[in-house]
Amino acid sequence: MNPWELIILQPVLNILIWLSYYLFNSFGASIIALTILMRLITYPLTARQLRSTKAMQSLQPKIAELQKKYAKDRNALAQEQMKLYKEAGISPAGCLVPMLVQMPIWIAVYQSIMLALAIAPEGLLNLSRYLYPWPAVYSMMPLNSNFLGLDLAATGNFILALLVGASMWVQQKMTTPPAVDPRQQQTTQMMVWMMPMMFFFFSLWFYNGLALYWLASTVIGIAMQYFITGWGSLLPGREAGQATRDKKYRSRIARVEQAPVAETEAIEADIVEPSTAQEGGKESAGAGDKRQDRGAGYPKSIRQIRRQPRSSRRRYPKRR
Amino acid sequence: MEMRFRQNKALPVKVALLLLMVVLLVTAGGLSGLGCIRGLQAIGWSGGAIVDNTLFVGSKEGRLVAINLAEGGRQWSEALKMSGQGAGLFGCGTPAAGGGCGGGPTGVAIYGTPAVAGGLVYIAGYNGKIYAFDSSTLQIRRIYPREGNLQPIVGGTAAAQDTVYVGAADTKESWKLYALDAATGNERWQFGTGDRVWSTPVVSGETVYFGSFDYKLYALDAESGNKLWEFKAEGAIGATPLVHNGTVYIGSFDRHLYAVDAASGTLKWQFMGENWFWATPLVYEGVIYAPCLDGRVYALDAESGLKLDEYDLGSPVSSSPVLVDSTIVLASQAGGIYAIDTSSGQKRQLVDIEAEVYGPLSTSQGVVYIHTQDLKIHAVDASSGAELPTISLKSGE
Repeated sequence: MNPWELIILQPVLNILIWLSYYLFNSFGASIIALTILMRLITYPLTARQLRSTKAMQSLQPKIAELQKKYAKDRNALAQEQMKLYKEAGISPAGCLVPMLVQMPIWIAVYQSIMLALAIAPEGLLNLSRYLYPWPAVYSMMPLNSNFLGLDLAATGNFILALLVGASMWVQQKMTTPPAVDPRQQQTTQMMVWMMPMMFFFFSLWFYNGLALYWLASTVIGIAMQYFITGWGSLLPGREAGQATRDKKYRSRIARVEQAPVAETEAIEADIVEPSTAQEGGKESAGAGDKRQDRGAGYPKSIRQIRRQPRSSRRRYPKRR
Repeated sequence: MEMRFRQNKALPVKVALLLLMVVLLVTAGGLSGLGCIRGLQAIGWSGGAIVDNTLFVGSKEGRLVAINLAEGGRQWSEALKMSGQGAGLFGCGTPAAGGGCGGGPTGVAIYGTPAVAGGLVYIAGYNGKIYAFDSSTLQIRRIYPREGNLQPIVGGTAAAQDTVYVGAADTKESWKLYALDAATGNERWQFGTGDRVWSTPVVSGETVYFGSFDYKLYALDAESGNKLWEFKAEGAIGATPLVHNGTVYIGSFDRHLYAVDAASGTLKWQFMGENWFWATPLVYEGVIYAPCLDGRVYALDAESGLKLDEYDLGSPVSSSPVLVDSTIVLASQAGGIYAIDTSSGQKRQLVDIEAEVYGPLSTSQGVVYIHTQDLKIHAVDASSGAELPTISLKSGE
């Protein structure tokens, strides 16, 4: 047995089987229970990832302004962006690292489900070498693959695949940032649809047990996301109210938004004309956010941009 | 324009895109890896049946192969047909169809060892059909059922007198032991069990014995199919029983080897290994040699179940051993071929054939035949350990 199997795959597999022993010999219930367990274990990482993503989204209007100013100097743009993130206390890697850490767990769960289902006789024979010497584990074999009338070892359940696709669409919609620039619209649309479509087809092709895991995992993910960052782009009008649940998130955004009132008034007269993109960005911040702060909350580097005479500013290129 | 689009793309969108791509790559990579992992495709591990110096074996191509052991001639039947399920993702056949993957054999998987009786060779396919071939021409004589398919069949067939016995099912919830008329292929009787029957039935006298995944060992009247008794273990039974001297020996997934009185079904003794007892044990001079998936072969007193010795073969043993004179010959899954001298109790490795072995061994005239997962039959001299020329099961080769 290689280290991967010994340290990660074998424990996950045995927990999966052990759970089914205590869940009335229901492997489907065991998959759901394991998904909940795994989601709870990785909750701090998921929460961190969601908060980072959300905080980055909230900075989009400011990023857009930086892009305006440094359109011809990509190095300066990158430096200013990083400076902005630093001042807001956000690490772009904060979105990626938690996901990378969770990946081995995802893969182990995939493999465990497929191994435990022991689709072919070779699978059952192969499975024996992974089992712990616990009566609750080895006496459970082979597992009962029927769950609420669904054969977890079969393929091509259209309703299940549809549920997987729909739930992933909801989650993607909640996660994907609203387009700051209309030209990003296409990209964000692709992001919202690509993963649900792919998983819809995966769910049709692969075993129902795996599709059940995807469905359970996505539904739990949606619930977690709702409590951490709100509905996101799914129901933008309700976001502000929902987001107030998360104190960490609020404090993080406040770090960027807060500024002395006097300074705000000083720049009040010199306001950039709101572009379509900025409107979008405002929407992402929530309908309840009136945004009295017209720049004072921005880092110093951004405030300087705003104080420039209107004539010297480059506007967004006109759309044709 | 493209450049401008790239420049204006906000970092959060880039990060989100990157996340999406990472998720998709991991999923696709994981799934494509899963697509061909061991145990998703039914490949088969049929043992060989030797009659009149001819070895009959089910190949991974889904064909019955007859090998003349004296002259080395080979004959192939036509390939068994899939049950109709389409191919899966990445070109893998669905397990129900017994499909292979990635350019490997794509025929119907055959797990059971053929049974030969009355000039016919009986074989059951993972496509849910039972076939009777003419033993000399390998032409199909009978198919059961004639229309449609049963559930995938893993156990072998047993032919006794004028009846063929096999475990199969119409639906996943209706597993039975079928008794078919050997002459006509018509069903004589069926006996329902609580779960899958992977065990090959064994007929001894007027009784047929077999195990089921419902944890039970059954004894039925061979003529009528009436239940004589049942014995419940603590785990599923997928192994084929051994009947000897009024005792039925059978292994279970609960890690026990059971000795049950053949007449009454009462437990005589039980022995616990460190993994499942998958293969059929072998008895010689009052000693049971029981291979186990823990990589050992246990030598147990047939009467008391007392452990006399154990032999470590280094990797799981799922193939049933054979007796050559007074030597027990075994194969580990990794391809190590071992001999246990019953008089001295010494184990020695005959040869390492470096190919995976899952199915039961067969023997004739001092030579052991091993069907390996690389579509070959390896032949090993049981006394010297010399490896004889391998026989390819690939059709037309």
